[in-house]
Amino acid sequence: MKLRRLLISGAAALAIALPGLAAAKEEMLHLVAPIADYKLYVAENTEKLVADTEAFVAAVKTGNVEKARALFAPTRISYERIEPIAELFSDLDVSIDARADDFEKAEKDPAFSGFHRIEHALWDANSTKGMEPYADKLLADVKDLHKRIDGLVFPPKVVIGGAAVLMEEVAATKISGEEDRYSHTDLWDFRGNFDGSKKIFDLVEPLVSKQDPAFVKKVADNFARVDATLDKYKTAKGYEPYDKLTDSDRTVLAAAVNTLAEDLSTLRGKLGVD
Amino acid sequence: MSDGRNGPGRRQVLLGLGAAGAAGLAGGVPAARAAQKAADAPRGHGETRERQPFLGEHQAGVTTPRPAAGMVAAFGVIAETPDDLERMFRTLTERIAFLMAGGPVPELDPGLPPLDSGILGPVVPPDNLTVTVSLGDSFFAARPWLAGLRPKHLQRMTAFPNDALRREACHGDLALQICANTPDTAIHALRDIVKTLPEFLVLRWKQEGTVPVVPARPDGETESARNFLGFRDGSANPDSNDAALMERLVWVTGDAGEPAWAVGGSYQAVRIIRNFVERWDRTPLREQEQIFGRKKASGAPMDGRKESDVPDYARDPEGKVTPLDAHIRLANPRTREFAEHLILRRPFNYSNGVTKSGQLDQGLLFIAYQADLAAGFIAVQSLLNGEPLEEYIQPVGGGYFFVLPGVRGAGDYLGRTLVEASRGSALS
Repeated sequence: MKLRRLLISGAAALAIALPGLAAAKEEMLHLVAPIADYKLYVAENTEKLVADTEAFVAAVKTGNVEKARALFAPTRISYERIEPIAELFSDLDVSIDARADDFEKAEKDPAFSGFHRIEHALWDANSTKGMEPYADKLLADVKDLHKRIDGLVFPPKVVIGGAAVLMEEVAATKISGEEDRYSHTDLWDFRGNFDGSKKIFDLVEPLVSKQDPAFVKKVADNFARVDATLDKYKTAKGYEPYDKLTDSDRTVLAAAVNTLAEDLSTLRGKLGVD
Repeated sequence: MSDGRNGPGRRQVLLGLGAAGAAGLAGGVPAARAAQKAADAPRGHGETRERQPFLGEHQAGVTTPRPAAGMVAAFGVIAETPDDLERMFRTLTERIAFLMAGGPVPELDPGLPPLDSGILGPVVPPDNLTVTVSLGDSFFAARPWLAGLRPKHLQRMTAFPNDALRREACHGDLALQICANTPDTAIHALRDIVKTLPEFLVLRWKQEGTVPVVPARPDGETESARNFLGFRDGSANPDSNDAALMERLVWVTGDAGEPAWAVGGSYQAVRIIRNFVERWDRTPLREQEQIFGRKKASGAPMDGRKESDVPDYARDPEGKVTPLDAHIRLANPRTREFAEHLILRRPFNYSNGVTKSGQLDQGLLFIAYQADLAAGFIAVQSLLNGEPLEEYIQPVGGGYFFVLPGVRGAGDYLGRTLVEASRGSALS
């Protein structure tokens, strides 16, 4: 039932997002199904984000530092998967995921909130002291995000472009390990960003595979290279800390990420999405 | 009808825009449509059409006269097999050949990202561009299938006593020295290569620099450009137009005991040398000249009249005229035996910004070429250890690299001899 509802609202949303759909190019119609599928993917992730954040916030509020630390990275991963869409709500993205350097007074800035505010307390101060209001706000924000997704029109430009945007994110500000600078759980975030980008690529792959099989193979090979590299750092509970990443593996990841960003930046053009 | 096209409309004045605002709106629109004479670019003299040949026994950018802008960019390389390496080198060759020749950029569907950054316009001018490709020690160290092929003097740069090397500005698997008449052309080339080869090259660090254009003198005397300490730099450089001399000093030849693939290449020493310019500018002129061993205004040696005069140290054995520890006397004692240590310098001045202490971060992007790294830069720098100039300078980055032989003709590519040698050794 739920799937059906989402599919219908996805298609309707697309119709609204594409002015003059009746006269639109045939390939635009091909995008209806992938975008509806993508909306479902986003909704599943925000649902999981809400559930995981509830547990994380509970640990923070009861002062259970150890448990909160353990839940931090796995909670974030569903947010990292859908970052291009989350960024459509810039107010929420700032309060959920901003970094200290986005604020004039950095960690001491009262406006610094969200995951990284709590991360700073958990790892730098080894405490949850004073985090209750931030925890409450974080939970309220992710619930708000989940609620807004349902009524959201998914612009094809954002969805198709999102595959490259996620790679740009990693290339520009994550590969250096600056995202999770207190917990060093960056490899989890990488995993989420790659999952999210790959999901978009997989959904539209049938639409480009005939016209450009070499492109599809190259992108798939680079995703596979990323998987193989990240898998080396898998542990029973998730991923090794960022500082375990060797220079040569970081180079391999950086090259794959930049190549994916370069190649996926042509996806909109290949699909005629302006 | 009072709302005339050229006057402030009554309504706009009433709305509080005032005369100036109304003029901007009413008068500005028609004016914007009139053809405007673009006049905000510095005027050149056709230098953008200057072109360096790409093909040759040696790469361009070594004995090529220095243009005004230079850069060194160092990369990590991802290439696991000889086939990967060949693909990388062929793409690099194709890009450099195009960038150095210049020409129109192919246009794509505007729904796609353009092929070129566009910062030089739709037709790329050659602008005297050279892109010189070299390999670092780590490139060979990380690839067992290149065993036995490392140039024999290539090594990881180690710190000299006065160095304070910053990890993030040192070494690299591959380096590009990019030079052109204008910095924009060098930056354009770098962006093209970064965009075209992301699967092979990961940028590690770069340093840009410039060198002032020195006008020709009416008396035919040629003068060297000044560094950021205000001294002429390069006065005693060997003549890069002398092919026989370059063959002896700069290029690796068949009898050098180097791997055969390396013949036609050269060793490149890159050093990012910070200059403490505030302190230098507070040093008495006489002391500055004693430290360098040259007169600041003319560039002449202490016992000479003009820059090209050769100092006669034999007549000054106690260093009364030119101190024994003066920079130029240590770096080149002008003895017959020293000839084997001569290196070809090709430096650029850099200005990076401001340090945490509020001092200027300026210095020299030192680049030197030689046929034998040990006898060349390493030997010369060892002579300079402890020189009085050290109080005013500090090397913070750079690395040692080996410049690949040139691309000899159509079908050839940069690094071909190395790729073929690696296949040979894999088979044996």
